[in-house]
Amino acid sequence: MKIRSDILRIYQALHTWGGICAGMLLFIGFFGGALTMFKDPLDRWVSAPALPVQQLAPAQVDEVVADVLAAYPAAREEFTLHVARHENTPAPVSWQAGESGHEIDFGLVRWQATLDAQGRLAVRQVQPSLLAELIDMLHRTGGIPGTLGDEYLGIYVMGVAGVLYFLALVSGVILLLPTLVKDFFALRPGKNRKRFWLDAHNILGITSLPFHIVISLTVIVFAFHDQFYDGLRGIVYRDQPMFAPPAIRHAPGDATKLLPASELVRRVRRQAPGFEVTELLYMGVESPRPIVRAAVASPRHVVQGAQTGFVILQPYTGDILSTSMVPGQGNTWSALVAPFFALHFGSYGGMTVRWLYFVFGLAGAALFYTGNLLWIEKRRRSQLKHGPLPQQPLRTARIAAATVGVCLGSMASIGACLVAAKWLHAFGAHANSAYLIVYYAVFLACVAWAFARGAARAGSELLVACAVAALAIPVTSVAGALLPALGMWAHTSPATLGVDATALALAGLFAWGARLAARRAINGPRDSVWATASVALPMAEAARKVGT
Amino acid sequence: MSADIKRAPIRPDWWSKTFAGVVLGAMLAFALAGIFAWAGPGGITPPDKSQFVMWLIAPVWMTVLGFVWLFRTGTLALLWLGGANLLAWGLLFCVRG
Repeated sequence: MKIRSDILRIYQALHTWGGICAGMLLFIGFFGGALTMFKDPLDRWVSAPALPVQQLAPAQVDEVVADVLAAYPAAREEFTLHVARHENTPAPVSWQAGESGHEIDFGLVRWQATLDAQGRLAVRQVQPSLLAELIDMLHRTGGIPGTLGDEYLGIYVMGVAGVLYFLALVSGVILLLPTLVKDFFALRPGKNRKRFWLDAHNILGITSLPFHIVISLTVIVFAFHDQFYDGLRGIVYRDQPMFAPPAIRHAPGDATKLLPASELVRRVRRQAPGFEVTELLYMGVESPRPIVRAAVASPRHVVQGAQTGFVILQPYTGDILSTSMVPGQGNTWSALVAPFFALHFGSYGGMTVRWLYFVFGLAGAALFYTGNLLWIEKRRRSQLKHGPLPQQPLRTARIAAATVGVCLGSMASIGACLVAAKWLHAFGAHANSAYLIVYYAVFLACVAWAFARGAARAGSELLVACAVAALAIPVTSVAGALLPALGMWAHTSPATLGVDATALALAGLFAWGARLAARRAINGPRDSVWATASVALPMAEAARKVGT
Repeated sequence: MSADIKRAPIRPDWWSKTFAGVVLGAMLAFALAGIFAWAGPGGITPPDKSQFVMWLIAPVWMTVLGFVWLFRTGTLALLWLGGANLLAWGLLFCVRG
């Protein structure tokens, strides 16, 4: 297909600048997003085993609920009934003071309630690990601190990055169209490194194009949906209701008259056969609008939430108020909307799709990293034949250093957070208050390192740092298992072992990348920003003199 | 006017075209979503339809923005998209009643 050169020039500029401006932010978003595919296993991996996972009969759970509601007013505002109990949710009932907010509260305290050996209510105060929440926040904000209104500032910045990302996709496809047939799947290794990187960049981009289009559009919607709804309300709907909240009748406002939780679970199961009921979130049981949101999971269905679909019930009558977030039970419109969410969250097809999204997420991050490398290589001043080694412009060197520092730094610092969670526990501290310090300290140190050492050396050195951080994750678990005196732990459920195994695999990947980058820095073209040549040369010179 | 006259190359006109794509594109997306909300299947009342209508905005907006640089000049982009906006908004006011 032929495209006029003036069009190609414009879209080349668009692709470059959109990519450079958004690339680093999107890298963090993609790496964090890949990890959030396994938010639950991460949460379980990092939760200290203070309480063994409680095996209680449904009737006993009902007893816990009734006792908690009688004794703790805060629970009457909101509490969670954990039907599926794991390392991170060992007790059947948990709650906190006030409603769960929009932003992460690193001082969060929750209460867990279960029955002790004598069958009496046993309540403990816990600080649930917020590591998985933190990774999710980094995914959504790119690690940009601060708030705007009642939303993270980073979410809006990520929304703008989503727009640039979409433009980079459109322009990237336009640029590739003229040579699509020729270049597609032509991965040309060999002498021309730039060609190789461009081929790799194109293959990654084209093979996962639908995924990337979906992600970019959903990122824009997730960032600006409040503004979109406000706009629609103002100019389209005006006095028409946009949402019809279900009418709630017979709310006595007396928690002692609630239906037993086991009865609600039974009704949810009847409503959504084939689904696993994972938890029930009770909201405002003594308010005029008491609601229970039951989470239902199934690997065989497209669900609207990040992990599960939802059934909404009235907790006094057991009436099903809404099934529009249960796959196949909503109306046409909610059925049309659900895939938008599911395609972003990868919440369809169970573990297979989660792994696929994990790989796509990492590949996407690689797409942005290689994109920036390409741009930097393209701008380099080439060495003239027998001419002096040209000096690379400072600007290019800085963007190269920033790319290396920000991208690799974000990965190393997330790894450091995981490791810190267990080691801080060993020293009697709780990691929640330290996560942000650990994250930003490692991240900023990596960025500073990249600027101080230059992109070429930092490129391989920071990959070594990533490998070390990733390797420390399973090593910490092994240490916790072998040396209980350390005060750490290692869970043995398949999901948490999967975290260790994946970290080990990533450590290998980082180490391999570090070796490639180091070899390139020494053997690559000396006029590249990826070469340590300007320093290596006098050293080699000196070595030769010593040798002779 | 003959077809074989070589056309002048497209002018980048970054500022005016980007403005047209971002602002006029967004307004057009809102208007088209609004027309779909009122005149599309089911009319304005079905529950949960507003969610789908909201999801329409970003794809329309991004499609306009993505291809806005194909207009030969920034002025043409402003004129065409401005005209499209007038039409769409007129239609929205009609169907909204």
